[in-house]
Amino acid sequence: MLELQKVYFTVQDTEGSDGGPRNIIDGIDYVFEDGKFYVITGPNGSGKTTLAKLIMGVNPLSGGKILFNGQNISALTITQRAKEGIAYSFQQPARFKGITFRDLLTIATGIEEEPRLLEILGRVGICPLSFLDKEVDARLSGGEIKKIELATTIAANPKLAIYDEPDTGIDLWTIGPMVSLLKKELAENRTTTIVVSHNKAFLEAADVVMIINSGRIVYDGDLEGAMPLLDDLSVCTYRNSCEGERDAGCYR
Amino acid sequence: MLDAIDRALLKTVAELEELPKGAYNIRKNGKLLDRHVSANINIETNEDETGIIVKIKPGTKNESVHIPVILSQAGLYDVVQNAFVIGDDAEVTIIAGCGIHCGSSEPEGHAGIHEFKVGKNAKVTYVEKHYASGEGTGRRSLNPTTKVFLAEGARAEMELTQIGGVDDTHRVNEAVLGPNSLLLITERVLTDGEQTAVSTNDIVMKGRGSRANMISRSVMKGNSKQTFYATIDAQNQCYGHIECDAIIMDNGTNETMPSLKAGHPDAELTHEASIGKIANDQLTKLMSLGLTYDQAVNRIIQGFLK
Repeated sequence: MLELQKVYFTVQDTEGSDGGPRNIIDGIDYVFEDGKFYVITGPNGSGKTTLAKLIMGVNPLSGGKILFNGQNISALTITQRAKEGIAYSFQQPARFKGITFRDLLTIATGIEEEPRLLEILGRVGICPLSFLDKEVDARLSGGEIKKIELATTIAANPKLAIYDEPDTGIDLWTIGPMVSLLKKELAENRTTTIVVSHNKAFLEAADVVMIINSGRIVYDGDLEGAMPLLDDLSVCTYRNSCEGERDAGCYR
Repeated sequence: MLDAIDRALLKTVAELEELPKGAYNIRKNGKLLDRHVSANINIETNEDETGIIVKIKPGTKNESVHIPVILSQAGLYDVVQNAFVIGDDAEVTIIAGCGIHCGSSEPEGHAGIHEFKVGKNAKVTYVEKHYASGEGTGRRSLNPTTKVFLAEGARAEMELTQIGGVDDTHRVNEAVLGPNSLLLITERVLTDGEQTAVSTNDIVMKGRGSRANMISRSVMKGNSKQTFYATIDAQNQCYGHIECDAIIMDNGTNETMPSLKAGHPDAELTHEASIGKIANDQLTKLMSLGLTYDQAVNRIIQGFLK
């Protein structure tokens, strides 16, 4: 349903010695299948978020093509991709002065009637009605804003939903239900789901685990097959400094 | 009595479709058009006939007063001095507003000077909207002044809005806060084209335990310019905060000068100020929900000035 053909994202390197171009995404070819649950993981700075943003059109492609259900969407704007059925949950959601959760849900769905908005709240597992009229501003906690971000993504009924680290800022006991919610949406609506995450709960729920390193896909398959690589030095960016003596067992 | 232009202006500045219920005073082109008083709210013309005195009886609850001003007479600059005396323990909403319709090349303007004496434990909500329209090229100016005196335990919530069409404005807000009183000011100003707006705010925290929060939201479109001054002068143990946010669009410019003076060791004063374009992450988020770039900009500004 989503096909990446020789996808590149290139920047002028300001950190490197030569100041030349550097490929953040380095010629990725991949086909995402309809109705599957993908989890993209990999070290910090490997290009996971950049890849997700290329799919949504937040970053422009430097080279290659993206096909969505057979249509070349490479030149489409974010708005056009949203209308085609792609939705995106940002890792650090935008905060707005004077725009409420209700406003965002209405923008995402076109629905204004309260009973139908309440139905959506039920569907995304947010109970209190009072939440609807909260302003999506700096007063919200990190967890609250991530829930709102997730809810607006699901409410849009996308064909393809992309979640960039949906678990950051979320309390530990909410992660399980969050995974179940995304799985349920996938089962009921065949929402192809791509989650960027290091979290074990998401990795275990994935149909396909993809590991990205230095802008390339270095593995795709089940979690079991990914384990040796995830345990490997390459995945932890702090491994060099700690030399493996203090292994916290994380997948970073 | 009300013609089509009057109705349109009244609807915009006072959200009135018809004459309001309760107490009101409507001023048109510098003269009294209509007035109505209630059992608890009296309105009378002041001695030198430069404006009105609105008296709210102590203990009055849940009542409102509408005092809109409309202008559609070429060349008129209308100055009015209004006083509001709010009795102890009263709770009242005052809805003011000025609408200018400019149909010629002559300038038109209005300066409303509003003084509030808010009694002990009384609560006043003051809503003021300014707006100008019309096909004429004459300059439209609006120069409102509010002076607020809060007695012990009094509370004033002021919503001051200028929504468009005003060529130049100099807004002045002054307040003196008594013990344990509370002042909340929210000012929203939108300018466009070659318009200019200056807002000067002086808040004196005299009483122990007084609290003040001044919020300013500015949007500058076109080549318009806004200048914002806000000073909190803390003379006692108190809490004061200034928050000023400005969004620049096109070639608009802004100067923002919050100033805090702590004249007492237990004064707690803070301010936050930000000026900039609409944040990219906000635009991206709304576009990812299906809005176009222009729709996203409008939605963000609409929320910001809500």
